Amino acid sequence: MKRVKILSIVLAAAFVIISTIFYNSPFYAEGNGIGEEQMLARAINGEARGEPYEGQVAVGAVILNRTRDAAFPKSIAGVIYQPGAFTAVSDGQINVPIESNSSVVRAARDALNGWDPTNGCIYYWNPATATSNWIWSRQIVTKIGKHNFAK
Amino acid sequence: MGLREKLLDFKQRLSDRKMYSVVIIAIAIVAIWGIYQYKRAADLTQHINNQYNRAFYDMVGYVNNVDVLLIKSLISASPAKTASTLQEAWRQANLAQENLGQLPVSQQVLANTSKFLTQVGDLSYSLNNQNMQGKALTEEQYKTIEKLYGYASTLGKSLNELQTQINSGRIKWGELAQKGTPFFKKASAQMPSKQFENIDKTFQDYPTLIYDGPFSDHLAKAELKGLTGDVISVEEGKKRVMKLFNGNKSAVVEENGKNDSPPIKTYSYKVTFENADKNQTAIVDITQKGGHLYQMLYNKPVANAKIDVDQAKAMGKKFLDENGYKNMKDTYYLKEDSTAVINYAYEQNGVVAYPDLIKVKISLDDGEVLGFESRGYISSHSERKIPKPKISEKEARKLINPKVKILSSGFAIIPTEYKTEIYTYEFKGKLNGRDFLIYINAETGREENVLMILETPGGILTI
Repeated sequence: MKRVKILSIVLAAAFVIISTIFYNSPFYAEGNGIGEEQMLARAINGEARGEPYEGQVAVGAVILNRTRDAAFPKSIAGVIYQPGAFTAVSDGQINVPIESNSSVVRAARDALNGWDPTNGCIYYWNPATATSNWIWSRQIVTKIGKHNFAK
Repeated sequence: MGLREKLLDFKQRLSDRKMYSVVIIAIAIVAIWGIYQYKRAADLTQHINNQYNRAFYDMVGYVNNVDVLLIKSLISASPAKTASTLQEAWRQANLAQENLGQLPVSQQVLANTSKFLTQVGDLSYSLNNQNMQGKALTEEQYKTIEKLYGYASTLGKSLNELQTQINSGRIKWGELAQKGTPFFKKASAQMPSKQFENIDKTFQDYPTLIYDGPFSDHLAKAELKGLTGDVISVEEGKKRVMKLFNGNKSAVVEENGKNDSPPIKTYSYKVTFENADKNQTAIVDITQKGGHLYQMLYNKPVANAKIDVDQAKAMGKKFLDENGYKNMKDTYYLKEDSTAVINYAYEQNGVVAYPDLIKVKISLDDGEVLGFESRGYISSHSERKIPKPKISEKEARKLINPKVKILSSGFAIIPTEYKTEIYTYEFKGKLNGRDFLIYINAETGREENVLMILETPGGILTI
């Protein structure tokens, strides 16, 4: 019986400690003072990690196209952090650190340098997981990888 | 052992007093932890709601100010006073738009309101510029402002209504996302969906290669002067792509759909290579009209740099010549890792036409072209009628701040925010150790633009 008692106390204590640590520590590195390229690369990483290269550039281009569209905020940060705009921001994936030589960084660069495989699109969605019906009312311009891109 | 026996066994064990206290303690610890987590979550929710709160109140304030400033700009008689009023309206409209974007209401509901605020800002900005030059408002502009004022008043009214509902506690902050939506839907429906003025001034500037407006509306909506020639077929476009990879026998070109959305309709092709990884692809877009090479993106891995930027510039120039883009002059470049993005502008009789921009990305490993983008060129290229300058270079030099040390000069055609082009003298000058480009209108002598040159380790950027 004594062994059971000790075991229970140890388990309970471990549960409390682990939970507290899990909830309190920042899970990922904080993204302070990162430049536009990094911010864009992180957004691309969160949104289009498994996509073909041009699909990653396309997601970056959509973010940049939004900064030039009257209906959206006017800075890259404003667009990326607009409430509810990107799932990768809502669930914190945007904070996942990325390596400087990964393909998402190159994709972000190409997008910043003006490459836009979407031809000026401001929306994209994955038909398999999209929850909004409204999005289907947009005119689809192109399909790249898993995403539909629309104006 | 069945479930029933298990429970009975557990009950028996519980009757052991020590075991009983262990369970109680465990429950107590979990409860304390739960309360702590709950409180933390409540604090965070409150914090976020406070942020939304601030954004909303700020926005209502700014919209009300815009409303007042617009009507004021109609009343004041002197262009100078109108200019300062409109400048303030521009600023306030931007702040309102910025705060609007931070509300937890979905973008499609806010879109029209956001557009309206941007348009008020853009129009105020362009009228402010006009008034600063001493020109008063025309009758038509007067009417436009009156119309905008009407919309601003309507928007202000519905926002004030929403604010009252919130203040009286009928809508709680946590519910803004759901209950605020009908309000914004109504407000957005009342806003004009038509564009008043197509200038984009308000977006955030960041250092770029010179005159690169890759995402801006004015390029997308303008008449496409450089899109010449007859409509070609998909097969003809394919031949064009094969020619690009002529040297590479393993290249396989396949059709990759087409893009029929205006303004630039294209055929898209995907190129794979038999002797390379299947993820190594090039996507090439050819315009349907004229079969111009419009865009290419080739994600070939790049090893260490073996050639320098000057060699890359020459290779890019050769590529342009071979593909029918003659008289292109390299202007600015950006070196990143082992690639260089080089800007080329069309040169007509010694005048650099910056709007006719082509970007070429070159591997510094083997000099292969990895990227190509000709939106600027296709949008604006034409043989221009270049007028004889009305003021001499000597006169133009005198118009520059005497503190600036002028290093070089030339002629350039530059794009404006108003979708037009101006013929200018381009002076490169130095002040306080920084390099600048100064543009003096060759016909009016007006100082049209000043760009600062940023020399980064990767290349030369302007802002």
